Amino acid sequence: MSGDLAARQAALVAALVAGADVPDGFDVRLVGVARVALLRKRAGEVARHWPLLAAGLGTRWPGVFLDWAAGRPTGGGLRDGWDLARTLRDQGTLPLLGADELAVREATARYDGVDPPRPRRCPALVRAGGAVAVQVAGRVRLLRPARNR
Amino acid sequence: MIPEAYGVGIGWRPEISGFFADLPGLRFVEVIAESVPPTGPLPTGLAGLRDRGVTVVPHGVRLSLGGAEPVEPARVTRFAAVAEQLDAPLVSEHIAFVRAGGLEAGHLLPLPRSREAVDAVVANVRRVQAELSVPIALEPIAALFDWPDDELDEADFLTEILDRTDALLLLDVANVYANARNRGTDPTALLDRLPLERVGYVHVAGGTEHDGVYHDTHTHPVPAAVLDLIRELCARHRPPALLLERDGAYPPAPELRAELDAMAAASGYPTVT
Repeated sequence: MSGDLAARQAALVAALVAGADVPDGFDVRLVGVARVALLRKRAGEVARHWPLLAAGLGTRWPGVFLDWAAGRPTGGGLRDGWDLARTLRDQGTLPLLGADELAVREATARYDGVDPPRPRRCPALVRAGGAVAVQVAGRVRLLRPARNR
Repeated sequence: MIPEAYGVGIGWRPEISGFFADLPGLRFVEVIAESVPPTGPLPTGLAGLRDRGVTVVPHGVRLSLGGAEPVEPARVTRFAAVAEQLDAPLVSEHIAFVRAGGLEAGHLLPLPRSREAVDAVVANVRRVQAELSVPIALEPIAALFDWPDDELDEADFLTEILDRTDALLLLDVANVYANARNRGTDPTALLDRLPLERVGYVHVAGGTEHDGVYHDTHTHPVPAAVLDLIRELCARHRPPALLLERDGAYPPAPELRAELDAMAAASGYPTVT
């Protein structure tokens, strides 16, 4: 089998990060071990971009991230954490620290979930999971942290 | 062509920047190339090391030299600019790919040891070399799995790439250990077949076993078996430099210092602590 390295590499990456079947001939168990190792590494990168979200989830962080990220290709640590925080917010399971972090991020930049976040040009007041943040002339402040209801 | 003997070094990471101030014998470090701004001021800690005369080698992790597609020109330009910015005597990257089909893998993935893959790597390395004014050292990776249809064994695969590109070898003894352990082979058998006189420098790192497989994590202590492999390597041909890679779960400074001392003892280079 030769002459098609590009397609074979693409099929392997799809199996590792996008939930595709493991290509024929590979050791399915070992590729599965590598898939989980990639998710753990990715969890560490997202935690660096979203330290409060990860801290708020505490010991549940790796598990919550891996469940969410499995089969979902990365958009980079910043966007992965953003997407996850929004998902948890919509489910009502975003931890308080994560809500504070999300509110600040939403006030800082406009992110449509598709293209990379862009800095906001206009003043903004945003709420996320009970937290409120404001941005004026590029300065962002957490007006009200999220609280237990 | 072969760099001067720098002895023992350690990868510079912003999280442990303070650790470097107290290493009087340190003569070289490595930095992740993608983390260095190609123009403008360097991160403070890194600038301080340059001022002390410490050599800084940029280590690329995202060029994807083993990708079937040509390496992205913008990445190559940036990589070369970082080398200039650091006034580095050499640079390094991996024999691996990190993306394909529009998807990022998020880590270094192994290549099939095929002639087609050799051709792809060689073409990409030459594209990078065309923009560099210093040598590049190529690093074989730790693989958690192999491709099903290898045509070459690892030594022949690597030697052919080095011969055709005239690149240096960045030999990671922790990767050699990990691969040998996971494949059930003898790590010294690979050392016996590699062109050790082409080694630009050596990587050393820790790892751990997980799911029945040894993972080269860079977040665990360096195993004694990896230190033994340094001794085996130096008995054959001592490399100009050995560099500790630590990428997270940073231990207290005395533990890192002890690892650097152990590397010095195993290689016979002076301690840097």
